Amino acid sequence: MTRVREAIAEDAGDYVMRKKMAVLLGLVALGAVACSEQLPTGVDDDLLPEEPITLEVRLGWDEFAANLQVFGGYGSPLELGSTVLAHKYGGDLEARTLLRFLPMPSVVTVTDSAGTQRADDQLTLIGGRIVAYLDTIQSVSDGPVTLEVGTTDEAWDRRSVSWEFAVDTVGEQRRWTEEGAGPVTPVTTGVWDPALGDSAVFLLDSAQVEMLRDTSQVNQGIRISVLDEGVRLKVNNVVLRGAVIPSVRPDTVVDLTAGRRDFTFVYSPSPESVVEGIRVGGVPAWRTVLDLHIPVSLAGPAALCAAVTCPLTLTPDQISYAALVLKGSNSSPAFQPSDSLGVDLRPVYQRSAMPKAPLGPSLLGPLGKKIAPGLFGADAGQEVEFPITNFVRALVAGDSIRGFPPPNTLALLSVFEPASLTFASFFGPGSPGAPVLKLIITAGPTVELP
Amino acid sequence: MIRRIALLALLVLAAPTASSAQSLFIGAGLGVPTDPLDARARALGGVGIGLHGPALLGSDPAAAASFLLPTLIMTAQPSWVDYGRDSGDAGTFRGTRFPNVGIAYPVFRVGVVTLSLESFLDQRYQARRSVTLDLGEGPVEATDRFLSNGGVSQVRVGFARPVGERLRVGVSAGAFTGSVTRRLERLFFEDSDTTASTQVERYQAGGLWGYSGNSVTGGASLSLGTFAEVAGSVTWSSALDATPSDDTDGAARSFDLPLTVRLGATADLAPGLSLSAGYTRADWSVVDDDLMEGASAGTTNSLGVGVELSRARLFGRQAPLRLGYRKTDLPFALGAGSASEKVWAGGIGLNLSQIGELVRAGVDLALERGDRSDTTLSESFWRATLTVKVAGF
Repeated sequence: MTRVREAIAEDAGDYVMRKKMAVLLGLVALGAVACSEQLPTGVDDDLLPEEPITLEVRLGWDEFAANLQVFGGYGSPLELGSTVLAHKYGGDLEARTLLRFLPMPSVVTVTDSAGTQRADDQLTLIGGRIVAYLDTIQSVSDGPVTLEVGTTDEAWDRRSVSWEFAVDTVGEQRRWTEEGAGPVTPVTTGVWDPALGDSAVFLLDSAQVEMLRDTSQVNQGIRISVLDEGVRLKVNNVVLRGAVIPSVRPDTVVDLTAGRRDFTFVYSPSPESVVEGIRVGGVPAWRTVLDLHIPVSLAGPAALCAAVTCPLTLTPDQISYAALVLKGSNSSPAFQPSDSLGVDLRPVYQRSAMPKAPLGPSLLGPLGKKIAPGLFGADAGQEVEFPITNFVRALVAGDSIRGFPPPNTLALLSVFEPASLTFASFFGPGSPGAPVLKLIITAGPTVELP
Repeated sequence: MIRRIALLALLVLAAPTASSAQSLFIGAGLGVPTDPLDARARALGGVGIGLHGPALLGSDPAAAASFLLPTLIMTAQPSWVDYGRDSGDAGTFRGTRFPNVGIAYPVFRVGVVTLSLESFLDQRYQARRSVTLDLGEGPVEATDRFLSNGGVSQVRVGFARPVGERLRVGVSAGAFTGSVTRRLERLFFEDSDTTASTQVERYQAGGLWGYSGNSVTGGASLSLGTFAEVAGSVTWSSALDATPSDDTDGAARSFDLPLTVRLGATADLAPGLSLSAGYTRADWSVVDDDLMEGASAGTTNSLGVGVELSRARLFGRQAPLRLGYRKTDLPFALGAGSASEKVWAGGIGLNLSQIGELVRAGVDLALERGDRSDTTLSESFWRATLTVKVAGF
């Protein structure tokens, strides 16, 4: 019994002891947590290591790059999703839109005089219109322009059609009778006034609508052209609308809409091949590739060597900023952009496989670098920077990617291919505005223990 | 029981010892030595040797000989600091550290084995400066930020035992541990919301050094009858080696550490009233040849005195009251002259569980008001020290 009492007393004592320990440990933890930390921060130089130097270094083309090459042929007008109309723009640019419509609905659902919804296929066509939606920002014109609609007389292949050829495939090559998707049978004309909106309307009578809605004609197609000189228009969409009277509600006019099926354009002349310089964009799109050879050490400029021992062996940490600096040029007025262009930079994994070499992820983000159109016109010669800091750091570090050396080839291309008929032009190597590599270098003494 | 000991040992080793900095003087030399004292020693002037009763102090290994029960001790120490520099820079900061965590375990009535983790050098601080750069397109504002994060701790194993009725002796062996990260960053366009601010990457340089080294402390205390007790200890340290990590450009370094001598005594002025005093001396000039920047203040002295009224009671329990003063030379200063710290301290203990003179659970609290200064920097601070003791587990 005595042992039992002692055991109970001991257990009770242990319980009290454990409780007190928990309280005490909690007290310490609470005290520690309750005191929020503020690291002592001084602002005097004597608390910091020696100040590093930061300066800008610009490397000329021969010091950092080589093997510039321009490749074309990426994409086709059909893939653009919009079309172009032009007449003697920028000298001699001509562009015409070609399209085919989808079938127009043959049944409408209307409410009859008894208030019942009924499907009605006994429709009386009374007329219609073609509506073209134009881009008011990217279209270039001084005022209202006259557009012409005609039906193509010859069959054309939507993928290979061009100014000269109606069909240009491996198995068949057939020229237009008239270059520029002709001849056509004129249908109507219309006027687009950009001051009044983005729509150009071409009124049609019932016979014309009936003809255009007949998709059984394989040759059937629409050609739209602009008659006024010195304009370049971007067409975002074209639809055919037919006005019909349903039999169950003769007092009602219903609009039926046929969307576009094939939507492309032909243009002439094609841009001249790039003799020198950098070209990005267009339809089909151009890409420019170049190899980067970042020097392993810098022996200048004088300000750098005055601060650190030259030659300075470059390390990734020292490169605070790196950018490819290009100067815009206005080499081709007909294809000069009228709106901002998105230019992207991406690494090329296997240069020898160009023009089909695989590309790496964008170095500039999903939207690329937006460049104002003026850089290729009135502001030609001004600089634009493409930041490639991490790309250059990886090159300097030489870090392998899955066992392969980091790619040293860069491709300049439009964010989407194709993005527009217009393209960006920059001065190339050998010209006064040749590309340069801008580096912001920060270098200082090694941080040591005191 | 073995499981409990293992658990407590794990707790001791896992506890942080220097989680925050408490002075801008850390930016000078090797930093600021952090005396790993408990709240009772702090309240009594803070030299930490020659006090009555058991204590787990690296500065007084013999004091552990008086432990009769296995005892766990943890100390937390928050500080609130105001500083001002002759350049006009002024501000405040605060932080908490855990200077001493340890256990003492009597072994087979032979003696007491101790295991503790103590802070030794605090090296945690940061500094900023604004710079204007010329990058060819006009001036660019940038900020240099330097961060020193870490410090030196010491894992100490000791043994103490009484020799006869009046003498206590103790010895401990310590291994320096810890690391410091020193990183200089330059941030461009920090105050700007321009696109350039996100495109220019920050510059970083620096690295990580791990510390190693050893120390041995021996000490003894002698009871002079019923009225006084005297004690002394000596600490010898090997060089403090700093080894850089593989990706650190900085060099490996080695710093000589001084021999530290401590003397202390406690006299009983009246029943329940005692006076204690202590003195510490260390010659830090041995490290001068190892420093790349600055120099030590040479020999540093520390002198503290305190009185303890041990018969005071609170809530029916014994609650000793303490008052002390301490003056300490700091081994490193930011300015040309030497730096020192002067502290007034007060404190109270509360024995939560006590059987006769045997304290099974207790808490001590010290509150210090002091200032540190050299020719360029002055700091005034409040520092609290809370020590929890649990025995007999």
